[in-house]
Amino acid sequence: MIPEIGHFSLLIAFVFSICLAIFPMIGAQKRIADLIALGKPLVHANFVLLSVSLFCLAWSFYHNDFSVYYVAMNSNSELPWYYRLSAVWGAHEGSLLLWVWILALWTSAVAIFSRTLDDDDVARVLAVMGFISIGFLAFVIFTSNPFERTFPNFPIDGRDLNPLLQDIGLIIHPPMLYMGYVGFSVAFAFAVAALISGKLDATWARWSRPWTLAAWIFLTAGITLGSWWAYYELGWGGWWFWDPVENASFMPWLAGTALIHSLAVTEKRGAFKSWTVLLAISAFSLSLLGTFLVRSGILVSVHAFASDPTRGLFILIYLLLVIGGALTLYAIRASNVVSTHRYKLFSREVFLFSNNILLVVALVVVLLGTLLPLVHKEIGLGSISIGAPFFDRIAALWYLPFCLLLGVAPFVRWKQDKLSRLTGKLVSGLVIALLTGLTFYLALEIDSVVTMTAVVLAGWVAGLTLLELVKNKQILKISLSHWGMIFGHLGFAALVLGIAVTQWGTVEQDVRMKVGEQVVLNDYTFKLEAVDFVKGPNYSAYHAKFDIAQGDKQFDLQAEKRYYNVQSNVMTEAGIDASLARDLYVALGEQLQDGAWAVRVYVKPFVRWIWLGGLLMSIGGLLCIADKRYRKILSAKALNKPVGSQDETQVKAAQEVQA
Amino acid sequence: MKSIRVIIPIVSFLAVSIFLYKGLFSDPTDIKNANVERQFPDFNLPDLMDENLFYQKDSVKGDYTLVNVWGTWCVTCRVELPYMTRLRQEGVRIVGVYYDNAADAAFGEVNVEQTRLEVKQMLAQLGNPFQFNIYDVKRDLSLDLGVTGAPESFLVNPEGVIIAHRRGAIDERVWQKEFQPLLNSYSNQAKSQSN
Amino acid sequence: MKEFFKFVIFITSVFASANLLAVEENYPFESEAKRADFEALVQELRCPKCQNQNVADSNSLVAIDLKNKTYQLVQEGKTKQEVVDYMVQRYTQFVHYDPPVNHVTIWLWIIPGFICIFLVLFVLKRNRTESGSQITDPHIREAEAIFAELEKQSQLKANSNTTQEVDK
Repeated sequence: MIPEIGHFSLLIAFVFSICLAIFPMIGAQKRIADLIALGKPLVHANFVLLSVSLFCLAWSFYHNDFSVYYVAMNSNSELPWYYRLSAVWGAHEGSLLLWVWILALWTSAVAIFSRTLDDDDVARVLAVMGFISIGFLAFVIFTSNPFERTFPNFPIDGRDLNPLLQDIGLIIHPPMLYMGYVGFSVAFAFAVAALISGKLDATWARWSRPWTLAAWIFLTAGITLGSWWAYYELGWGGWWFWDPVENASFMPWLAGTALIHSLAVTEKRGAFKSWTVLLAISAFSLSLLGTFLVRSGILVSVHAFASDPTRGLFILIYLLLVIGGALTLYAIRASNVVSTHRYKLFSREVFLFSNNILLVVALVVVLLGTLLPLVHKEIGLGSISIGAPFFDRIAALWYLPFCLLLGVAPFVRWKQDKLSRLTGKLVSGLVIALLTGLTFYLALEIDSVVTMTAVVLAGWVAGLTLLELVKNKQILKISLSHWGMIFGHLGFAALVLGIAVTQWGTVEQDVRMKVGEQVVLNDYTFKLEAVDFVKGPNYSAYHAKFDIAQGDKQFDLQAEKRYYNVQSNVMTEAGIDASLARDLYVALGEQLQDGAWAVRVYVKPFVRWIWLGGLLMSIGGLLCIADKRYRKILSAKALNKPVGSQDETQVKAAQEVQA
Repeated sequence: MKSIRVIIPIVSFLAVSIFLYKGLFSDPTDIKNANVERQFPDFNLPDLMDENLFYQKDSVKGDYTLVNVWGTWCVTCRVELPYMTRLRQEGVRIVGVYYDNAADAAFGEVNVEQTRLEVKQMLAQLGNPFQFNIYDVKRDLSLDLGVTGAPESFLVNPEGVIIAHRRGAIDERVWQKEFQPLLNSYSNQAKSQSN
Repeated sequence: MKEFFKFVIFITSVFASANLLAVEENYPFESEAKRADFEALVQELRCPKCQNQNVADSNSLVAIDLKNKTYQLVQEGKTKQEVVDYMVQRYTQFVHYDPPVNHVTIWLWIIPGFICIFLVLFVLKRNRTESGSQITDPHIREAEAIFAELEKQSQLKANSNTTQEVDK
């Protein structure tokens, strides 16, 4: 009964979505208040219906209702209850349901927080989001229904959740990521609504900004979590593999990062209007493309869902409608956009646009690197692989200009500035950068030019960001969004530093060890103390205890090799000793014939800085969004007109001095 | 100028879509074997049952030969043995290349006597399609053939050129579709020559 | 103190390396250059059977064979490129994560480069035409005056807003 309620809610939500896509849009175009007024109730009803639907699926999982096919395939009565709940999004059908639920959540949020925006503008935005949700609901209902029953013969027990997904990281990683992907639909809807109404002014940019930031925060956190999860769960100490599915999440992130910067220019200066619209369309389009790549199975990937050409075809048609429609609209409308804003070559506008150029170039490289193997094969030239060696080469070319500009940009004034004004700061920045480089050179004896360059550049970015902070005499009065920028840029510096030092300094040892034997890596001694056989709720495992000694410091690490009974899968639980300076990483391999164990030991310097960077960037985003001017926009009716087009932080700083 | 610029995104998107569409109907894991239409690689390996008897490339030349890479540890190989035995009865020449489980082989010695026993039992049970079995001791021949797992099959023509390749089991459907036509065209050629 | 620590580390490492003899490395090398080549190669070579894993990370049969073969070839003194060529000869270009440069893959470089140039020209050109039009077009000058006025007003308004907030 419960699954049928869930299914039925889905069907009603589908009908409501169709209404949502049609009536408010007609209302807004023909100025019919009754139709416009339909929008918000429909949105909230949709959210309630989809919540019911999601709840019903979770209920079926919780109560081990194996008459539901999806539950039977992805759960088991021995699975702990929290994994039974997270199994809701453990495979294709349920994760799609989560996708549409999150879309409904964002749509409801837009309906609630846009009270001060003109009704017809809100109606257009909601209608666009309704249109997006039609496609996904149809996809769930017609090709991937999670409520399908196994009657009359249902299994006594389920086939269990993929052991890879039985982990805290995987409980929160997909919802975070989806919040990010789907969150870009808001900026997309605002952009498309603005194209339809022709009101491509600073207003839509100002309204899109907090939503874009929110989505970006989730995506940043989601990707960081995913990378961290892969690191400790997959057992080979990797944190990024340039897998198509990773790329699929990275592309919207790059577009989103470019978008939050160009939105700043468009909002504050009214420049790059059509460019910003294009980015807003791209960020969500790339999220959709990612969904297609993951779920159609057209690329070889570690994380792909079960592939099915009909599903793929369905999404492809949907992509053509949504992305193709939006880009066609763009082609028709954007040529009319006239930019009145003027700026000189040495101005913040140009610096921010350079950021956009480099991010878009990176995006295109990732896109080509992901899709070109497909093209290569389709035109009959055979299969090729594009992976780390290629991307690393491009990255090494890319980060030099990016970091150089990133360091300088926050100092440069809008409209026009003089390089001579900044000379002093740039020299200080250079000194800090070189000192950072020297410190690392002496401490770690880095012998690679590429690594040294990256370290110096990280020092350059961090140094200049901090200088920019110090130049404000009253640090306590700096606005939150300014702090956000500082955290974001420091996070990026940490990321560059972490990547560079880890890539260069990781050492590994592939050994066979018997209990009591030890291996030395750098100045750490790893001794295999004991291997025990243990039983978990739904797995059995070999549990290895390693004693680590460095000088007279001693501690231990636990690593496991787990065997999951139902799916007969073997999983590695690595033993990790984490610190900012280095990670020690031990993974237990298979048992060998003479009683020894295959063991992999790594020392990874600075690897934590990669996720620290991601965390700092997310915090930066949070600070920006917490800034009170957004709360003003969201609450005060009067501010529907343009706020000052001056750089507000500067204005505020000036006012603070006056006060 | 501007109107050209604004249609760039939609045009590129449509171009990409064409390939996405085509990609839906091709299997990305289906990677062509590098050795097709090349000479069968040289080797010098012993018979599985008799370490003093050695085979070279000539052993698979002279007639159309189906070279089948297999192992007793491989489940799919069991599936194809009965059909291949039927093919042998129909006159197809099949040569086995015995492929040890690399995971076992990498971490310790393989017991050849044990393997021979298992092979005898399995062939007695499911049928023996093989004229003889080449023992790929270090799996070098398999690596030269670009084998990615067992079973894999190669059709070699009398001149020693690999003319067809298959990953996974051979069954009636696969044989009729991918291998039989090649044999037919050869026998037609032979006929027209003798005429 | 520091000297003492160095001594401790030295002693433990001597002790440890004596003990290390018992532990067998799976792929021992005498030369560090060869070890580096080997480690780089197993990262760059793709397991042809797996979903998407390199040879180093995969435990599949063919990955183990490729890793052993790589080890053997590196030990024989083959260069990195020779090992890659050896593998590509047998397992096609798919086995190497670094694609060859041909008339299709060259676009991996051309398209991003082209987009970069295009966008740089875009920003340069806008910058030039707009500062040029400043002098010639009276309408823009007019609009500009209005714009400046608006800016001043909004600044004033923002000022009064903040003072109000401070007052509260």
